[in-house]
Amino acid sequence: MRMKTGADTFHVATTLHGAVAALADRGHAGAPLAGATWIMRAPLRGGPQQDRSYVALSRIDELRRVEIGERDITIGACVTHAALASALAHIDGCAALVQAAASSANPAVRQVATIGGNLCAWDFASADLVPALICLAANVELTSPDGVERISMERFLARRSELAPGTLLSRIVVARTACGSAHVRLPLRRSGDYPVAIVSLAVKLGQNSTVLTARAAVGSVEVVARRWETLEAGLVGRPLDPQAAAALAGRCLDDFVARDGVEAAGWYRLAVLPSLVRRAAQALLPHS
Amino acid sequence: MALLLTVNGEDRTSGHGAMTPLVDVLRDEFHLKGAKPVCREGFCGACTVLLDDHPVMACLLPAGLAVGARIRTVESLAPDGALSPLQQVMEEHDVVQCGMCFPGMLMSLSGFLAVTPRPTRDEVKAALSGNVCRCTGYERIIDAVLSL
Repeated sequence: MRMKTGADTFHVATTLHGAVAALADRGHAGAPLAGATWIMRAPLRGGPQQDRSYVALSRIDELRRVEIGERDITIGACVTHAALASALAHIDGCAALVQAAASSANPAVRQVATIGGNLCAWDFASADLVPALICLAANVELTSPDGVERISMERFLARRSELAPGTLLSRIVVARTACGSAHVRLPLRRSGDYPVAIVSLAVKLGQNSTVLTARAAVGSVEVVARRWETLEAGLVGRPLDPQAAAALAGRCLDDFVARDGVEAAGWYRLAVLPSLVRRAAQALLPHS
Repeated sequence: MALLLTVNGEDRTSGHGAMTPLVDVLRDEFHLKGAKPVCREGFCGACTVLLDDHPVMACLLPAGLAVGARIRTVESLAPDGALSPLQQVMEEHDVVQCGMCFPGMLMSLSGFLAVTPRPTRDEVKAALSGNVCRCTGYERIIDAVLSL
């Protein structure tokens, strides 16, 4: 179905392959449209006008599914934050992703905004799902006319602003592991605004809560979320202790070059990280 | 191609482009002025409408994505002039003030109460977390909801 827009056409795709073909056909003039929340607000923040030839993805059923298998969880790119939080609410190990999906923005935005949109908004430093998926070691699937490619989150983040026309983020794959996970964020209000800083943490605990494996990610502090490997290394091999984890985080703040923004200065984003690490560690203790 | 929209149970045709924010179609073309375009960034909630029974921000929704869905605005709550139970308790608790944010609050709460008919205080607060009001305190609004 094609509809007129101010500048070009608006194509509603109903299959993944149809969407990929439509995007490839439009070349650099085309753009995918999922929940549209980021695209619609962009002009107010100095971003691009809505002058692309959009291919709407929200009617593609296969991109709206969450498939929970024994070994992994596959999430379609058009699954909304609300649907994601609901689908994974009782799945072991997914707490970080559930907390990220359930706490970002506000209820009405979560009904519309999608996981694919959150990951593809390359100029959105505060995207909640990005650090959550990094800590869960997620992979993403890109579908193009040439086929399907599966890459790590980190590689996707490095490539996402330069995807070739017709290349579409189609699915996110999270392996099911024995790790527990937590996602802690600091917005200035309790909800609704962008978080100053985000810590996502996944750990596997052994006897006496000794950390066997750890994977940490920080969002909103730098322009793009990324792992906090120094923190991970310091956590492994010791009992998980929230106060000690916070102290460790405080010694590792030089790992980041924090960005200044209207909602918070860079120094403040760094200053709150130890507290967020402490809260994440607390949430992962067995009695929590 | 015109946009075929279902608004408050009626089939309507819009001549706007598919990327036009739904709130502008509702207000400027269909003259449904309840939803307010205030922040246009999804922060304030004054434009909240129901899309297939879910609260959404009409400022961030391209009208083209609303084709095929059921759109409900605040005008649908009292179609014959009789207030809905939610509107009645708001009036009884004297929480209606300037009217800028209130239609959005009513629509957020309508969608929320349809799936959570016996909410806790914290659940009501969470449901209203995307609706900003600069006039009144939120606590009396929550009191009114809990009295239902």
